[in-house]
Amino acid sequence: MTRQHILIPSKAALCALTAAWGLGLAGPALAATEAAPNWAPASSERLIKLPGSYLKKAVDRDFAKSGLAQALQEAETALRLKHQSLQDIQEAMERADGQVRVDLRHRFLAEKRAYLDLVARQQQLRRKRARTKIRLYERLMRKLGFKRSAMTPQKVALVQKQQAALQRLNATSTRVDTKLFRSSMGKESKYAAAYAVNLAAIERLNAAIKAHPMNDEAKFDTAGMTKEDHLRGLVAAAEAELANLDQEAGILGLMAKLVSLDALALSDDVAGDNAEGDEDGAPNQGLTRAVDLFVTR
Amino acid sequence: MKIRTLIVSAAACAMILPLAVAKAGSLENLERERAMLMQAMLSADLSPKERQGKVTLSRNRLIDLERMVLRDKKLVGHNTPAVRAAFENYDLTFLVHAAVERDRALLDHWMHQVGVSTQSLMNARMGRR
Repeated sequence: MTRQHILIPSKAALCALTAAWGLGLAGPALAATEAAPNWAPASSERLIKLPGSYLKKAVDRDFAKSGLAQALQEAETALRLKHQSLQDIQEAMERADGQVRVDLRHRFLAEKRAYLDLVARQQQLRRKRARTKIRLYERLMRKLGFKRSAMTPQKVALVQKQQAALQRLNATSTRVDTKLFRSSMGKESKYAAAYAVNLAAIERLNAAIKAHPMNDEAKFDTAGMTKEDHLRGLVAAAEAELANLDQEAGILGLMAKLVSLDALALSDDVAGDNAEGDEDGAPNQGLTRAVDLFVTR
Repeated sequence: MKIRTLIVSAAACAMILPLAVAKAGSLENLERERAMLMQAMLSADLSPKERQGKVTLSRNRLIDLERMVLRDKKLVGHNTPAVRAAFENYDLTFLVHAAVERDRALLDHWMHQVGVSTQSLMNARMGRR
């Protein structure tokens, strides 16, 4: 009798559970604000200078070191485990009968609710990551735009003259050396000697960078993608993730509704001493695959 | 007389210019050395041997300084009057390289750039101001 009181909730208790479900949906949000894992990437000058593909890698690496990444990883692990335990309970329900089956149905409901809490938490973290990425990439685009607009026509003209002057120098420097150092003092200056040595070292390093397999700068050049194009692509990808999250939030809402209905059904079954269900389902992964666990009772 | 005034005032300008580019670094050094070269070339107090020695020394220094200025990344897009003026006329600022490029002697090249040619000298007349 005592066991029955503990394991089989009364109708009132189940109604209270159902009502509490609504509050439970707000739970993850409150929990999240308490924990508040964060990721605050800086749109530094270094990021702007990086080639497009490196930029994404650098951002991903920065994210991986953040508290938000750790929280997201923990949430995903917890979700996997919860999904597994839901499957286990579902299988156990198929084999159980009578009072044990009612107990398992109750536990299945409670686990579903916990699963939805975890999904909501994970979605919240993913949303935060996507929004932070969008903000970061937009800041980088603004900085890039600012850098471009900072080039006044006068400055552009100056840079062009400087480039032309350097070209003239490069075209005549050998001639100058041959003509002026052949006679007179005849010796190269310290600066010229050191410059030649350094230039040779720089050329070797540049060649090594060009040949490096991780250097795909050339690929972007041939694809005709500017850094702005690449940033816009990254923003679009983050926006797509947000759109997916909106859709998944809809799925989560429907799952929550089904859990509420399941709780009501269980409450009716217990009250009418008519506990029965047709639980079945295949073990799946991911939110959409978990739908099977929710459409069955 | 006019020509002499012109040469003296141009040399004075070349000497004064470093004051305006005090913060330009490599450019400042270039302007200073170039002013010294002009002074050595135009000074009437030097013997031909002294002049030759000073001009050679300054010219060799200018070769390095001109290259330093042209390779100085800090000056790229450094939109100040001094930098703008320096790159406005390559032939005057980078005197040694430009002279070799044009196959002219240093003084000839400089005079050509400031508008003094054999023709203008031949046409010059002595007179009172």
